[in-house]
Formats: sequence, C-alpha cells, structure tokens
Amino acid sequence: MNTLLKYWAFVRVGVVRALNERGELYGRLLFLPIILGVFYELWSAVGEAGMPTASAPHDLVWYLAATEWVVLSPPLIFNDVQEDVRRGDIACALPRPISYLGSMFCQGMGMLAVRAPVLGLGLFACALAFTRVLPEPSDVLWVAAFGLAAMGFIVACYLLLGLAAFWLDDVTPLYWIWQKSLFLLGGLMVPLELYPEWFRELGSFTPFPSLLSGPASALTTHVTTPAGIALATQLLSWSLGITVAGALLFTHVTRRLQLKGG
Amino acid sequence: MDRVSAYWQFLRALGGTNLKTALAQRGHFAFQALFMLINNLTFFVFWWALFRNVETIRGWVIGDVQLLYGLSAASYGVMVVLAGGVRQISRWIDHGELDPLLVQPKATWLYAVASRSQPSGIGDIVSGVFFLAMSGRVYVGNSWLAVFSVLCGACVFLGGALAFYSLAFWLSRTETLSRQLTDFLILFTFYPDSLFSGPLRVVLFTVLPAGFITYLPVRLIRDERLILLPVLLLAAAGFLSLGVAVFQRGTRRYASGSRFGLWG
Repeated sequence: MNTLLKYWAFVRVGVVRALNERGELYGRLLFLPIILGVFYELWSAVGEAGMPTASAPHDLVWYLAATEWVVLSPPLIFNDVQEDVRRGDIACALPRPISYLGSMFCQGMGMLAVRAPVLGLGLFACALAFTRVLPEPSDVLWVAAFGLAAMGFIVACYLLLGLAAFWLDDVTPLYWIWQKSLFLLGGLMVPLELYPEWFRELGSFTPFPSLLSGPASALTTHVTTPAGIALATQLLSWSLGITVAGALLFTHVTRRLQLKGG
Repeated sequence: MDRVSAYWQFLRALGGTNLKTALAQRGHFAFQALFMLINNLTFFVFWWALFRNVETIRGWVIGDVQLLYGLSAASYGVMVVLAGGVRQISRWIDHGELDPLLVQPKATWLYAVASRSQPSGIGDIVSGVFFLAMSGRVYVGNSWLAVFSVLCGACVFLGGALAFYSLAFWLSRTETLSRQLTDFLILFTFYPDSLFSGPLRVVLFTVLPAGFITYLPVRLIRDERLILLPVLLLAAAGFLSLGVAVFQRGTRRYASGSRFGLWG
C-alpha cells in the first residue's frame, strides 16, 4: 500500500507540472483548428477528385482528430530523463526507495491526466465544428479506451528514448526517427488502407499501427469485438515487451554509471 | 558604399564564425542535417500515398506539390542557416540577454539573427533542391527563377519570424506562441493554395504570408509568369522591412537583464 502511495505522489507531481506548464498546452490547442481546417479542405478536395476510399471526408477528419490526440497528448518526458542523465541528477535518484523509471512513468501519466482531456475536448470541438457530424458514442468510447492505452505506451517509449542519453549527447534525432516512424507506419494523417500492401506489411512488424490506426480506425470503419480483442492483445504484448526492455536497459546503464565530482 | 561593404564584411565574419562553430561538432552537425532531410522526405510520403489514388487535387499534380515542397524547404533552410538566431530572439528578450548586442555599432537585429546558424537548415536545403529537381518543373533554363524565389521566400520567412519572435518585447514568455506562429507559416507553405478560400486566403498573403513563399513562386516557375518577379521582390523587401521595424520598435521597450556574461 505504501509503495502505491509513493507512486501516486509522483502522479500528483505530474498533474501539478502539467498545470504549471500551460503555455505549451495552449500552443497545441491553437494548432488544432488550423490543422483540422487544412485537412478538412484537403479531404473535401480529394473527395471531389474521386479518391477510392470507403470513408467519407468527415470520417477522415474525425480519424485525424483521434490520431492527433494520441500523438499530441503524451508529454515529452525523454527531455527530463536526458537532463537527469546529463547533469548526473540520476545518481541522486537511484538510492531512493522507489524505482526511477517507475517514478518518471508515473509523473508522465500525471501530466497525461491533464493534457489528454484538454486536448481531447479541443479536438472534439474542432472536428465537430468542421464536420457538423457526431460519431457514434461506441466509436468514441473505443477511441478513448485504446487511445489512452496507446498514450501510456508512448510515455514508456519516451522513457526508453531518454535512457539513450547514456550513449548520445542529444536524443532529439532519435526522437525524430521514432516520431516519423509513428507518423508513417502508424497512419497519422491517412488511414493505412491508402498505403500500398508492402508498406502496411512492414508496419505490422512494429507497434505503430496499434498506437494510431488501431484506436482511430473505429471512426472510419466498422469495428467488431474480435478486432477489439486483437488490438488489446497487441497493445498488451508490446507493453510487456517495452517493460522488460526498459528494465533490462536501465539495469545495464546504471551498472556502467560513473560519477565525476559531487 | 563604405557602409554596405562594412556590413558585407561583418556578415561574412559572422557566417565564418558560425560555420567554424558548427564544424567543431561535426557529428552533431551531420546528424541534424541528415535527420532534417529524412524528416522532410517522410512528410512527402503522405502526398505520395494520396497521388497514388488520384491524379489531381484541385488542379495540382504531384510535380506541383514537389515544387511547393522544394521551394518551402529550401527557403526555410536558407533562412535558418544564414539567420538562425531569429528563433532565439524571444528567449533573449525574456532573459534580458540583448544587452551585449545593443552596444554594438552594427544594426542590433542583424547581429541577433545572424549570430546563430542552424545545422538542420542544410538538410532543408538539400531536400529542397531534391524536390525541385524531382518536380520536373525546374530545368537549367529557368533555374534562376527557382533561386530567385528561394531567396525571396527566405526574406519573407525571416520578416515573418522576426515579427513573431519580437512579440516578446510587448508580451512576456511568448516563445511558445512565436514558435507556433512560425510553425503555422511553415505549415501553410506545404499545402496547395487551391485548398484555401475566403478570408483565410487574405490571411495567407498578410498575417501568415505563405502565399509569397510558395504559392506565387509556384506560378512563377510553373507558368513562367514573369510579371510575378517584381511582386515577389516587393513582398520580400516589404515583409523583411516590417519584421525589422517591429523589432526596432520593440527595442525601445526592452528592459535589460543586467546580466554579466559572454556573447557567443
């Protein structure tokens, strides 16, 4: 029980941090109507051009709103890990009676608890204003449930990226590669069915489709219970994989940690 | 004439120093440039996927979009390589770090913007040239039009960014807002103008002047409408002057941070 309370304290720290760092959140909110407006026009134009897609332009706008929600909500926690490694602050965190990775993950989830609802409401309002069509409540529930799970996974991935600071000066380029792979293989802007077959097959070997296209597909196609079970299984398997990878990597890097000065 | 020559020497010296700084961390330099190149190519995959399914989108074919991407990436790349300091201006104002520049004999805005260079801009320039070459719209005979458009676009980008980042003189902690406004400007340069109509179109030729960075240059190169040459030149001079005027006006309100430190 005590252990849970310790981690809960870090969740609260994350909530307070997110509330204090409102500027970035407002900036992202400002971005939402612009990007959805541009894509609403684009999908209308593509529809006029007769693109062979099963989805109506307004469904594609809702799809983009859902994928943007998953991408924009997770805090870039790798920056904090990178700074801790660079400054050597990580050495002070190691003797604490709480896992460093666990505490950072909880902090990230605390920040997510503020960011996800705010951005979610913003995106919902913008998508509704552009399309004037409401999605089915069951589809919204699907997006919310799997989207939140995907965000938790993304926070865990950011922690792993941050640990790369033990080898690299700056982990930003690594983040760019991860981000672009997510955009492309996950289907950020267009549903994966518009990509060629070989491209989709390539994506199926990665967690990216289950992070973006998986949760958002409910808005463009009819989803079934078996599809939900399959998606949940994929997310769980990848989460298990990343937890093990994170634990092994952290054990490895802390073993080779050398302190200079005090 | 002496004044112009003095400024030219000053800019060359600043450029040389920036280059030496960048090359001192060769790995970082190459990494940044390479990843920006990959970044730009990645975003084009979206258009590639769209044009696999349709031939034209409101009169635009894939070659036109490549031309649009090339112009935008190259213009932005030139801007951040030659005037990368513009992205730091908000922070310098907020932290009261402009003091060392205010006492310099050269124009403060010029010193501020040219005192930094972003290595990622090289990646933008390389990807820009790649897209221009792939578009099938630029050939040896009209390549001067592309170079002219890129230089004018870089001036418009700089003018816009200078005005956005100078907002910190009036409002506190505006770095995020300024970066967002600059990002919006970049974002709109990447989409065909036929998607936008009504009041938004006016915005795209005034507040967020993407129209002068890519829309008109695309028409200049694709349709060889030479009448647009003076329009682009005027727009470049106008937006750059506006950005400088906003910065200069802002320096009257600047409050020193009274910090001791080294500039460089």
